[in-house]
Amino acid sequence: MLPPASGTGIFVNSSEKVIRLLRQGCTNRPFFHIRRKNQHRPVIEQLGTFDPMPNEHNEKLTSLNYERIRYWIGNGAHVSQPVEQLLGLAGFFPIHPTSYMTAWRNRRATKENQEKSISVEADDKNEVKQ
Amino acid sequence: MLSLTHSLRSLAIAGEAIPSNYKYQAVRWRKPRWVPKAKSKIFKVPERPVIPEEEKLELMRLYNNYRTKVKSLRSYLVAKHCTKFQASEDPEEQRRLFEEDLQHCIKMNNEWNEKQRIFREQAMTEELEANLSYARKRLEDELIKQEEKIKAIEEIVQKQKEAAKNFILPENIDEAIDKALENPVDYNFAITLNGEKIIGYYNHKVGDKNENVVKQ
Repeated sequence: MLPPASGTGIFVNSSEKVIRLLRQGCTNRPFFHIRRKNQHRPVIEQLGTFDPMPNEHNEKLTSLNYERIRYWIGNGAHVSQPVEQLLGLAGFFPIHPTSYMTAWRNRRATKENQEKSISVEADDKNEVKQ
Repeated sequence: MLSLTHSLRSLAIAGEAIPSNYKYQAVRWRKPRWVPKAKSKIFKVPERPVIPEEEKLELMRLYNNYRTKVKSLRSYLVAKHCTKFQASEDPEEQRRLFEEDLQHCIKMNNEWNEKQRIFREQAMTEELEANLSYARKRLEDELIKQEEKIKAIEEIVQKQKEAAKNFILPENIDEAIDKALENPVDYNFAITLNGEKIIGYYNHKVGDKNENVVKQ
């Protein structure tokens, strides 16, 4: 029998615990449960969900159980980078540097694109004038 | 093993026979580990990502800040939620709470014991009474049974005394023998449907005229 999606609640005290994303869902349709998990063992507890596919309002839906996350971090659980990013965006943690990095890179890319399009338009106008 | 050999065959690498005791590690390879780099790619060096110096410094700064903040947050959460620390917090208070709890438990236990004691004593007296009455009843029954038995025995004795008057004793044995000889009884006869006795020829006494005599 498979363990339940909400986790088994069974764990060894001395084992290392991680709050990380665990891929559920199916092919081309990822859906994540945020779980405390030690490797090679069943999930201990489900702490939230994350759907990376944007919905019709262009939103990526996330749910987090702050109380339990607080408890488990207090009891020495590690947090993986993607979850750190999520928690940063949610306002639980400070915003992760990689989030800043992606943001400024995206900004730069859009700016460059805009400049490129403007220059292209200007060239077109010049061509028309000549 | 079978699927492995099959995939090897499909890669057209398995020229030699594979020894049966050989251990394979299950990896999702496009190419087995022992197959060298492709000839066309031997001198290809992958390009390293170039991060500008400014960006690098900025990221370092951000990471340092981030780590400091997260560390402080984490230590706060540990102080608040860690089960180990909570257990060792203020031993005097813990002891006082334990003592209070213990006293409460003792009080509850004593109350319950008192209640149980009353109940137990009552139950014991009732049981004793029941046992005594049962014993008494058994005794009475036993006495009645014995009386009945004695009565039955006496009846038998009475009957036997009555019967003893007709017994043949050494004093009157001659008399009894004479009587018996005088009145011989012959049961060697037949009876007809009408109830007539038919006595045998040899047992027939002269003088009995009433009875039929048949020669056997």
